[in-house]
Amino acid sequence: MICSVTALIFTEPGIILTEMTNASMDVLRLCAELLAIYTIWMGLLEIVDQTGLGNKLANLLKPLIRWLFKIDDPQTSKYIALNISSNMLGLGNASTPMGIKAMQRLDDGSGVITPAMIMLLIVNATSIQLLPTTVVGLRATAGSTSPSDIIFPTLIATIITCITGVFLTKLCQKIFNKKGAEK
Amino acid sequence: MISAYIIPVLIIAILIYARVKKIETYNVFVKGAKGAFDLVLSIFPFIVTIMIMVALMRASGLMDIIISVLAPAFGVLGIPIEVSELVLLRPFTGSGSYAILNDIYETYGVDTYISRCASVIMGTSETIFYVAAVYFSQTSVKKLSYAIPLALVLSLFGTIVACLICKIL
Repeated sequence: MICSVTALIFTEPGIILTEMTNASMDVLRLCAELLAIYTIWMGLLEIVDQTGLGNKLANLLKPLIRWLFKIDDPQTSKYIALNISSNMLGLGNASTPMGIKAMQRLDDGSGVITPAMIMLLIVNATSIQLLPTTVVGLRATAGSTSPSDIIFPTLIATIITCITGVFLTKLCQKIFNKKGAEK
Repeated sequence: MISAYIIPVLIIAILIYARVKKIETYNVFVKGAKGAFDLVLSIFPFIVTIMIMVALMRASGLMDIIISVLAPAFGVLGIPIEVSELVLLRPFTGSGSYAILNDIYETYGVDTYISRCASVIMGTSETIFYVAAVYFSQTSVKKLSYAIPLALVLSLFGTIVACLICKIL
Protein backbone atom coordinates (compact mmCIF):
# COMPACT_ATOMS: atom_id res chain seq x y z
CA MET A 1 0.00 0.00 0.00
CA ILE A 2 2.83 2.37 0.89
CA CYS A 3 4.57 1.52 -2.40
CA SER A 4 1.44 2.28 -4.38
CA VAL A 5 0.83 5.61 -2.67
CA THR A 6 4.46 6.67 -3.13
CA ALA A 7 4.33 5.75 -6.79
CA LEU A 8 1.14 7.78 -7.20
CA ILE A 9 2.63 10.86 -5.53
CA PHE A 10 5.12 11.03 -8.40
CA THR A 11 2.59 10.35 -11.14
CA GLU A 12 -0.87 11.58 -10.25
CA PRO A 13 -1.17 12.84 -6.65
CA GLY A 14 -4.72 14.05 -7.28
CA ILE A 15 -6.24 10.62 -7.76
CA ILE A 16 -5.09 8.96 -4.52
CA LEU A 17 -8.05 9.97 -2.41
CA THR A 18 -10.48 9.58 -5.31
CA GLU A 19 -9.29 6.02 -5.88
CA MET A 20 -9.57 5.17 -2.19
CA THR A 21 -13.06 6.63 -1.92
CA ASN A 22 -14.15 4.87 -5.11
CA ALA A 23 -12.91 1.54 -3.79
CA SER A 24 -14.72 2.15 -0.53
CA MET A 25 -17.94 2.99 -2.38
CA ASP A 26 -17.59 -0.18 -4.45
CA VAL A 27 -17.32 -2.20 -1.28
CA LEU A 28 -20.42 -0.52 0.11
CA ARG A 29 -22.28 -1.67 -3.01
CA LEU A 30 -20.74 -5.13 -2.71
CA CYS A 31 -21.77 -5.33 0.94
CA ALA A 32 -25.35 -4.42 0.09
CA GLU A 33 -25.32 -7.30 -2.39
CA LEU A 34 -23.69 -9.60 0.13
CA LEU A 35 -26.25 -8.63 2.76
CA ALA A 36 -29.06 -9.61 0.40
CA ILE A 37 -27.40 -12.90 -0.55
CA TYR A 38 -26.35 -13.81 3.01
CA THR A 39 -29.88 -13.13 4.28
CA ILE A 40 -31.30 -15.66 1.84
CA TRP A 41 -28.69 -18.33 2.50
CA MET A 42 -28.48 -17.87 6.25
CA GLY A 43 -32.26 -18.14 6.42
CA LEU A 44 -32.25 -21.30 4.34
CA LEU A 45 -29.32 -22.74 6.25
CA GLU A 46 -31.16 -22.19 9.53
CA ILE A 47 -33.96 -24.32 8.10
CA VAL A 48 -31.45 -26.95 6.97
CA ASP A 49 -30.05 -26.86 10.48
CA GLN A 50 -33.44 -27.29 12.19
CA THR A 51 -34.44 -30.23 9.99
CA GLY A 52 -31.34 -32.07 11.07
CA LEU A 53 -30.05 -32.20 7.49
CA GLY A 54 -26.93 -30.34 8.58
CA ASN A 55 -26.13 -33.00 11.14
CA LYS A 56 -26.74 -35.75 8.59
CA LEU A 57 -24.35 -34.11 6.17
CA ALA A 58 -21.78 -33.66 8.92
CA ASN A 59 -22.11 -37.34 9.84
CA LEU A 60 -21.65 -38.33 6.22
CA LEU A 61 -18.45 -36.29 5.96
CA LYS A 62 -17.32 -37.11 9.50
CA PRO A 63 -14.41 -39.45 8.67
CA LEU A 64 -13.09 -36.96 6.13
CA ILE A 65 -13.45 -33.97 8.48
CA ARG A 66 -11.85 -35.86 11.36
CA TRP A 67 -8.88 -36.80 9.20
CA LEU A 68 -8.47 -33.30 7.75
CA PHE A 69 -9.08 -31.15 10.81
CA LYS A 70 -8.51 -33.49 13.76
CA ILE A 71 -11.68 -32.32 15.49
CA ASP A 72 -14.69 -34.09 16.97
CA ASP A 73 -16.95 -31.21 17.94
CA PRO A 74 -20.27 -31.87 16.14
CA GLN A 75 -21.20 -28.17 15.80
CA THR A 76 -17.90 -27.25 14.14
CA SER A 77 -18.06 -30.32 11.88
CA LYS A 78 -21.52 -29.25 10.78
CA TYR A 79 -20.35 -25.77 9.80
CA ILE A 80 -17.37 -27.21 7.93
CA ALA A 81 -19.56 -29.79 6.17
CA LEU A 82 -21.99 -27.08 5.01
CA ASN A 83 -19.10 -24.82 4.00
CA ILE A 84 -17.41 -27.49 1.87
CA SER A 85 -20.59 -28.74 0.22
CA SER A 86 -21.90 -25.31 -0.76
CA ASN A 87 -18.46 -24.48 -2.14
CA MET A 88 -18.52 -27.61 -4.31
CA LEU A 89 -21.83 -26.52 -5.81
CA GLY A 90 -20.30 -23.19 -6.78
CA LEU A 91 -22.31 -21.30 -4.15
CA GLY A 92 -19.36 -19.32 -2.87
CA ASN A 93 -21.60 -16.73 -1.23
CA ALA A 94 -23.55 -19.34 0.71
CA SER A 95 -20.36 -20.96 1.97
CA THR A 96 -18.79 -17.77 3.34
CA PRO A 97 -21.04 -17.33 6.43
CA MET A 98 -20.50 -20.99 7.30
CA GLY A 99 -16.75 -20.61 6.80
CA ILE A 100 -16.63 -17.63 9.15
CA LYS A 101 -18.58 -19.51 11.81
CA ALA A 102 -16.35 -22.56 11.46
CA MET A 103 -13.24 -20.37 11.78
CA GLN A 104 -14.63 -18.79 14.95
CA ARG A 105 -15.19 -22.21 16.46
CA LEU A 106 -11.72 -23.43 15.46
CA ASP A 107 -10.19 -20.35 17.11
CA ASP A 108 -8.72 -21.09 20.54
CA GLY A 109 -8.43 -17.40 21.44
CA SER A 110 -4.64 -17.51 21.69
CA GLY A 111 -4.11 -15.30 18.63
CA VAL A 112 -2.05 -18.08 17.02
CA ILE A 113 -3.28 -19.81 13.90
CA THR A 114 -4.08 -23.49 14.38
CA PRO A 115 -3.36 -26.25 11.83
CA ALA A 116 -7.10 -26.85 11.45
CA MET A 117 -7.65 -23.19 10.48
CA ILE A 118 -4.95 -23.37 7.81
CA MET A 119 -6.50 -26.57 6.48
CA LEU A 120 -9.91 -24.91 6.26
CA LEU A 121 -8.46 -21.98 4.31
CA ILE A 122 -6.61 -24.30 1.91
CA VAL A 123 -9.65 -26.53 1.37
CA ASN A 124 -11.63 -23.38 0.55
CA ALA A 125 -8.93 -21.99 -1.73
CA THR A 126 -8.56 -25.22 -3.72
CA SER A 127 -12.18 -26.30 -3.48
CA ILE A 128 -13.41 -29.01 -5.85
CA GLN A 129 -15.90 -27.51 -8.28
CA LEU A 130 -18.74 -29.79 -9.32
CA LEU A 131 -20.55 -26.97 -11.09
CA PRO A 132 -18.72 -23.75 -11.98
CA THR A 133 -22.08 -21.98 -12.39
CA THR A 134 -20.81 -18.43 -12.87
CA VAL A 135 -18.23 -19.29 -15.53
CA VAL A 136 -20.70 -21.45 -17.47
CA GLY A 137 -23.16 -18.55 -17.37
CA LEU A 138 -20.53 -16.10 -18.62
CA ARG A 139 -19.57 -18.43 -21.48
CA ALA A 140 -23.21 -18.75 -22.51
CA THR A 141 -23.57 -14.97 -22.53
CA ALA A 142 -20.41 -14.60 -24.61
CA GLY A 143 -21.95 -16.84 -27.27
CA SER A 144 -20.10 -20.12 -26.76
CA THR A 145 -21.29 -23.08 -28.84
CA SER A 146 -21.11 -25.36 -25.80
CA PRO A 147 -20.78 -23.35 -22.57
CA SER A 148 -20.79 -26.42 -20.31
CA ASP A 149 -17.74 -27.80 -22.14
CA ILE A 150 -15.49 -26.67 -19.30
CA ILE A 151 -17.30 -28.49 -16.47
CA PHE A 152 -15.34 -31.72 -16.92
CA PRO A 153 -11.84 -30.17 -17.26
CA THR A 154 -12.59 -27.91 -14.27
CA LEU A 155 -13.68 -30.91 -12.21
CA ILE A 156 -10.49 -32.84 -12.96
CA ALA A 157 -8.22 -29.83 -12.45
CA THR A 158 -9.83 -28.94 -9.11
CA ILE A 159 -9.72 -32.55 -7.86
CA ILE A 160 -5.99 -32.72 -8.60
CA THR A 161 -5.37 -29.31 -6.99
CA CYS A 162 -7.49 -30.07 -3.93
CA ILE A 163 -5.79 -33.41 -3.21
CA THR A 164 -2.34 -31.86 -3.71
CA GLY A 165 -3.39 -28.99 -1.44
CA VAL A 166 -4.48 -31.29 1.37
CA PHE A 167 -1.27 -33.32 1.24
CA LEU A 168 0.97 -30.25 0.98
CA THR A 169 -0.79 -28.75 4.01
CA LYS A 170 -0.33 -31.97 5.97
CA LEU A 171 3.34 -31.97 4.96
CA CYS A 172 3.80 -28.34 6.02
CA GLN A 173 2.15 -29.09 9.34
CA LYS A 174 4.62 -31.94 9.96
CA ILE A 175 7.61 -29.76 9.08
CA PHE A 176 6.46 -26.86 11.26
CA ASN A 177 5.60 -29.22 14.13
CA LYS A 178 9.16 -30.56 14.09
CA LYS A 179 10.57 -27.04 14.14
CA GLY A 180 8.33 -26.18 17.09
CA ALA A 181 9.46 -29.28 18.98
CA GLU A 182 13.15 -28.49 18.47
CA LYS A 183 12.69 -25.04 19.96
CA MET B 1 -29.02 -26.00 -19.15
CA ILE B 2 -28.98 -28.26 -16.11
CA SER B 3 -27.01 -25.86 -13.94
CA ALA B 4 -29.82 -23.27 -14.06
CA TYR B 5 -32.11 -25.72 -12.24
CA ILE B 6 -29.72 -26.77 -9.48
CA ILE B 7 -30.34 -23.88 -7.09
CA PRO B 8 -34.16 -23.69 -7.45
CA VAL B 9 -34.43 -27.47 -7.04
CA LEU B 10 -32.15 -27.32 -4.00
CA ILE B 11 -34.29 -24.61 -2.38
CA ILE B 12 -37.57 -26.41 -3.10
CA ALA B 13 -36.13 -29.67 -1.76
CA ILE B 14 -35.07 -27.97 1.48
CA LEU B 15 -38.49 -26.34 1.95
CA ILE B 16 -40.41 -29.55 1.24
CA TYR B 17 -38.17 -31.51 3.58
CA ALA B 18 -38.77 -28.89 6.28
CA ARG B 19 -42.54 -29.22 5.74
CA VAL B 20 -42.32 -32.99 6.13
CA LYS B 21 -40.36 -32.51 9.35
CA LYS B 22 -43.09 -30.08 10.53
CA ILE B 23 -40.84 -27.05 10.95
CA GLU B 24 -42.18 -23.50 10.98
CA THR B 25 -40.27 -22.42 7.89
CA TYR B 26 -41.18 -18.73 8.17
CA ASN B 27 -40.03 -18.25 11.77
CA VAL B 28 -36.88 -20.29 11.33
CA PHE B 29 -35.92 -18.48 8.13
CA VAL B 30 -36.30 -15.09 9.82
CA LYS B 31 -34.25 -16.26 12.77
CA GLY B 32 -31.35 -17.31 10.57
CA ALA B 33 -31.62 -14.29 8.30
CA LYS B 34 -31.26 -11.94 11.27
CA GLY B 35 -27.61 -12.91 11.63
CA ALA B 36 -26.75 -11.69 8.13
CA PHE B 37 -26.80 -7.99 9.02
CA ASP B 38 -24.34 -8.30 11.90
CA LEU B 39 -22.11 -10.52 9.81
CA VAL B 40 -21.86 -8.11 6.88
CA LEU B 41 -21.38 -5.17 9.25
CA SER B 42 -18.50 -6.90 11.02
CA ILE B 43 -16.65 -7.94 7.85
CA PHE B 44 -17.14 -4.56 6.13
CA PRO B 45 -13.94 -2.82 7.38
CA PHE B 46 -11.84 -5.81 6.36
CA ILE B 47 -13.18 -5.89 2.82
CA VAL B 48 -12.76 -2.12 2.46
CA THR B 49 -9.10 -2.30 3.47
CA ILE B 50 -8.32 -5.10 1.02
CA MET B 51 -10.17 -3.38 -1.82
CA ILE B 52 -8.47 -0.01 -1.24
CA MET B 53 -5.14 -1.79 -1.44
CA VAL B 54 -6.07 -3.44 -4.74
CA ALA B 55 -7.44 -0.20 -6.19
CA LEU B 56 -4.24 1.68 -5.32
CA MET B 57 -2.05 -1.06 -6.77
CA ARG B 58 -3.93 -0.92 -10.06
CA ALA B 59 -4.11 2.88 -10.21
CA SER B 60 -0.42 3.33 -9.46
CA GLY B 61 0.63 0.99 -12.23
CA LEU B 62 2.37 -1.28 -9.72
CA MET B 63 0.14 -4.13 -10.85
CA ASP B 64 1.19 -3.66 -14.48
CA ILE B 65 4.85 -3.71 -13.51
CA ILE B 66 4.41 -6.93 -11.54
CA ILE B 67 2.52 -8.50 -14.45
CA SER B 68 5.17 -7.53 -17.00
CA VAL B 69 7.92 -8.95 -14.78
CA LEU B 70 6.16 -12.24 -14.09
CA ALA B 71 4.61 -12.90 -17.52
CA PRO B 72 7.76 -14.43 -19.07
CA ALA B 73 8.12 -16.76 -16.07
CA PHE B 74 4.58 -17.99 -16.71
CA GLY B 75 5.52 -18.90 -20.28
CA VAL B 76 8.14 -21.31 -18.93
CA LEU B 77 5.49 -23.00 -16.73
CA GLY B 78 3.21 -23.59 -19.72
CA ILE B 79 0.78 -20.80 -18.88
CA PRO B 80 -0.17 -18.72 -21.94
CA ILE B 81 0.91 -15.09 -21.60
CA GLU B 82 -2.60 -13.99 -22.64
CA VAL B 83 -4.04 -15.22 -19.34
CA SER B 84 -1.26 -13.94 -17.06
CA GLU B 85 -3.18 -10.83 -16.01
CA LEU B 86 -6.08 -13.02 -14.97
CA VAL B 87 -3.80 -15.33 -12.98
CA LEU B 88 -2.17 -12.42 -11.14
CA LEU B 89 -5.34 -10.49 -10.33
CA ARG B 90 -7.44 -13.50 -9.36
CA PRO B 91 -6.14 -13.78 -5.73
CA PHE B 92 -7.17 -10.17 -5.06
CA THR B 93 -10.52 -9.54 -6.68
CA GLY B 94 -13.42 -11.73 -7.70
CA SER B 95 -15.40 -9.18 -9.68
CA GLY B 96 -12.24 -7.81 -11.31
CA SER B 97 -11.13 -11.23 -12.49
CA TYR B 98 -14.56 -11.97 -13.97
CA ALA B 99 -14.26 -8.73 -15.93
CA ILE B 100 -10.88 -9.84 -17.27
CA LEU B 101 -12.29 -13.28 -18.13
CA ASN B 102 -14.98 -11.55 -20.17
CA ASP B 103 -12.30 -9.46 -21.92
CA ILE B 104 -10.43 -12.64 -22.81
CA TYR B 105 -13.63 -14.16 -24.27
CA GLU B 106 -14.18 -11.08 -26.40
CA THR B 107 -10.59 -10.74 -27.57
CA TYR B 108 -9.79 -14.36 -28.39
CA GLY B 109 -13.25 -15.93 -28.94
CA VAL B 110 -15.07 -18.06 -26.35
CA ASP B 111 -14.27 -21.49 -27.73
CA THR B 112 -10.53 -21.05 -28.28
CA TYR B 113 -7.83 -22.75 -26.23
CA ILE B 114 -6.97 -19.48 -24.45
CA SER B 115 -10.56 -18.92 -23.34
CA ARG B 116 -11.11 -22.52 -22.23
CA CYS B 117 -7.86 -22.30 -20.31
CA ALA B 118 -8.95 -19.07 -18.62
CA SER B 119 -12.33 -20.62 -17.71
CA VAL B 120 -10.76 -23.61 -16.00
CA ILE B 121 -8.26 -21.36 -14.21
CA MET B 122 -11.21 -19.48 -12.69
CA GLY B 123 -12.38 -22.78 -11.21
CA THR B 124 -9.03 -23.89 -9.79
CA SER B 125 -8.16 -20.54 -8.24
CA GLU B 126 -9.77 -18.48 -5.52
CA THR B 127 -9.75 -14.87 -4.31
CA ILE B 128 -7.31 -15.88 -1.60
CA PHE B 129 -6.58 -12.49 -0.02
CA TYR B 130 -10.26 -11.64 0.13
CA VAL B 131 -11.28 -15.02 1.56
CA ALA B 132 -8.47 -14.96 4.13
CA ALA B 133 -9.36 -11.41 5.23
CA VAL B 134 -13.03 -12.27 5.65
CA TYR B 135 -12.61 -15.71 7.22
CA PHE B 136 -10.07 -14.61 9.79
CA SER B 137 -11.75 -11.24 10.51
CA GLN B 138 -13.84 -12.73 13.33
CA THR B 139 -11.03 -14.66 15.03
CA SER B 140 -8.21 -13.75 17.40
CA VAL B 141 -5.54 -14.77 14.87
CA LYS B 142 -3.02 -12.02 14.07
CA LYS B 143 -0.45 -13.85 11.96
CA LEU B 144 -1.42 -16.30 9.25
CA SER B 145 1.98 -18.04 9.27
CA TYR B 146 2.46 -20.05 6.05
CA ALA B 147 -1.26 -20.14 5.12
CA ILE B 148 -1.18 -17.44 2.40
CA PRO B 149 2.08 -18.47 0.65
CA LEU B 150 0.86 -22.07 0.62
CA ALA B 151 -2.50 -21.05 -0.83
CA LEU B 152 -0.76 -18.98 -3.53
CA VAL B 153 1.61 -21.80 -4.48
CA LEU B 154 -1.36 -24.16 -4.77
CA SER B 155 -3.21 -21.62 -6.85
CA LEU B 156 -0.26 -21.44 -9.26
CA PHE B 157 -0.11 -25.24 -9.32
CA GLY B 158 -3.83 -25.31 -10.11
CA THR B 159 -3.26 -22.90 -12.98
CA ILE B 160 -0.53 -25.10 -14.47
CA VAL B 161 -2.77 -28.17 -14.13
CA ALA B 162 -5.64 -26.27 -15.75
CA CYS B 163 -3.52 -25.32 -18.77
CA LEU B 164 -2.22 -28.89 -19.15
CA ILE B 165 -5.70 -30.43 -18.99
CA CYS B 166 -7.06 -27.98 -21.55
CA LYS B 167 -4.23 -28.96 -23.89
CA ILE B 168 -5.00 -32.69 -23.55
CA LEU B 169 -8.80 -32.56 -23.68
